Amino acid sequence: MNILLCCAAGMSTSLLVQKMEAEAKNMGLDAKIWAVSVDEIRNHIDKADVLLVGPQIRYKLASLKELGKEKGIPVEMINTVDYGTLNGKNVVNFALKLLNK
Amino acid sequence: MDRFIAAFEEKVMPVAGKISEQKHLKAIRDGIILAMPFIIVGSVFLILGFLPIPGYNEFMARTFGEKWLTKLLYPVGVTFDLMAVFVSVGVAYRLAENYKVDAISAGAISLASFLLVTPFKVMFTPEGAKQAVEVGGAIPAALMGSKGMFVAMIMAIISTEIYRKIIQKGIVIKMPAGVPPAVSKSFVALIPTAAVITVTWVIRLGFEMTSWGDMHNFITKVLSGPLSILGASLFGAVGSELLVQLFWSVGLHGANLVSGVMGPIWLQLMDQNRAVFQANPGAQLPNVVTQQFFDNFIHIGGSGATLSLVVLLLTVARSKQLKSLGRLSIGAGIFNINEPITFGMPIVLNPIMIIPFVLSPIAIVIISYIAMSTGLVARPAGIAVPWTTPPVISGYLATGGKISGAVLQIVNFFVTMAIYYPFVKMWDKKKVEEEKMSEEAA
Repeated sequence: MNILLCCAAGMSTSLLVQKMEAEAKNMGLDAKIWAVSVDEIRNHIDKADVLLVGPQIRYKLASLKELGKEKGIPVEMINTVDYGTLNGKNVVNFALKLLNK
Repeated sequence: MDRFIAAFEEKVMPVAGKISEQKHLKAIRDGIILAMPFIIVGSVFLILGFLPIPGYNEFMARTFGEKWLTKLLYPVGVTFDLMAVFVSVGVAYRLAENYKVDAISAGAISLASFLLVTPFKVMFTPEGAKQAVEVGGAIPAALMGSKGMFVAMIMAIISTEIYRKIIQKGIVIKMPAGVPPAVSKSFVALIPTAAVITVTWVIRLGFEMTSWGDMHNFITKVLSGPLSILGASLFGAVGSELLVQLFWSVGLHGANLVSGVMGPIWLQLMDQNRAVFQANPGAQLPNVVTQQFFDNFIHIGGSGATLSLVVLLLTVARSKQLKSLGRLSIGAGIFNINEPITFGMPIVLNPIMIIPFVLSPIAIVIISYIAMSTGLVARPAGIAVPWTTPPVISGYLATGGKISGAVLQIVNFFVTMAIYYPFVKMWDKKKVEEEKMSEEAA
């Protein structure tokens, strides 16, 4: 399972990645989770099964969803509360839910 | 208040979407990114050239010879001084990519058209002579840097637009029957290049007939000159910062959106400072407002100057939730990342916290602007210090090794702390009450 996160510079999402990795390990998931800046997304999306977008760049969500459709993967915005509190568990579960849809 | 915020969000979102998705603005932003690693590497050489250590110059001269500085700064000539070339290729490449046409061809054609509007001559003053003479057959290095950047951007857009229109329309040359298809195909590939070069050539000839003489002169006078005066002013700085904070108040990445438009202007202002600094590090630098002005001196702890806010959470907050938020966000805050604060506290859509979140950075924009324009504090020296560099260090480096830069950051930190203080107390009180209620309920 490959979870890709993106925000403006890929910095704050990388904070969340750490928490999510710890959570995934606890859950016994074999997951690759990484964060990139939105400018690099094209170079990474082919390796991803799901793309989660930081809420501060939600003005990009429409175009990223389009890209997701092209690649056949779900693209969604991360809940702002989970994002702000760096709630790795909720975000991993959110990703799982999107993948099982 | 909630209704007001909802209405604001409804108005702001489409604008944000347009700024970030408009094809040409996006290409300019992405194209400039191509130049950034070079500029940062060039900055490292600049810092090494002007380390403010007593006896450093003498030591370097003894070790590497009298010409050490000139030699050390060779890389600056292919980093800062080629900014327009990178932008020319980068913008065209990204725009072509967006149109799904061959990007590398578009980049090459863009570079050719940028150079085609640039007269290949330089002014040269021979030793002993009083007047400069014009020397032909030389690419003017001065126009390959930030001075030529706006022309490079404009030509990248014009050339790529022509290129992709011709490709997308599928214009073909009809060959008489009997000509092998491969031959006619090879002619078709020439059409876009021929069209762009011809149009650019006409542009060049057109400018030669005017009193401006060439496109660079024209763009400097009517576009980049006025824009940089606006960008460099206190009014421009406060206006930009206000927009950044208003976007962030509804949870949109304001710094990214605003620099998407202001980026080229700030970059040019920064490079003007760099050129003067490089020639004489003790000289008065022309501009206060550059990218580093915002990144290093205003966004201390992230947009909204929230590092002081985090420290308040750690020291004066009594709510458990806010205390733990303080601990969670201090590490990232030192490196100027503050999403845990903006979304976690939250500041976003929170009427109490939005007030100091907007006021703090505006206050320190004004303080920093006055401190730097009166010469009390050194101006940013055009050294590209990454925005994730912790304060104090970044202020010292960005000013080319001046203590006053670090001191200003400390002053700014305490000013914002004073502005945040009453609001943090208010929010903390509310949180403590909430926590008490939920404890009693449990």
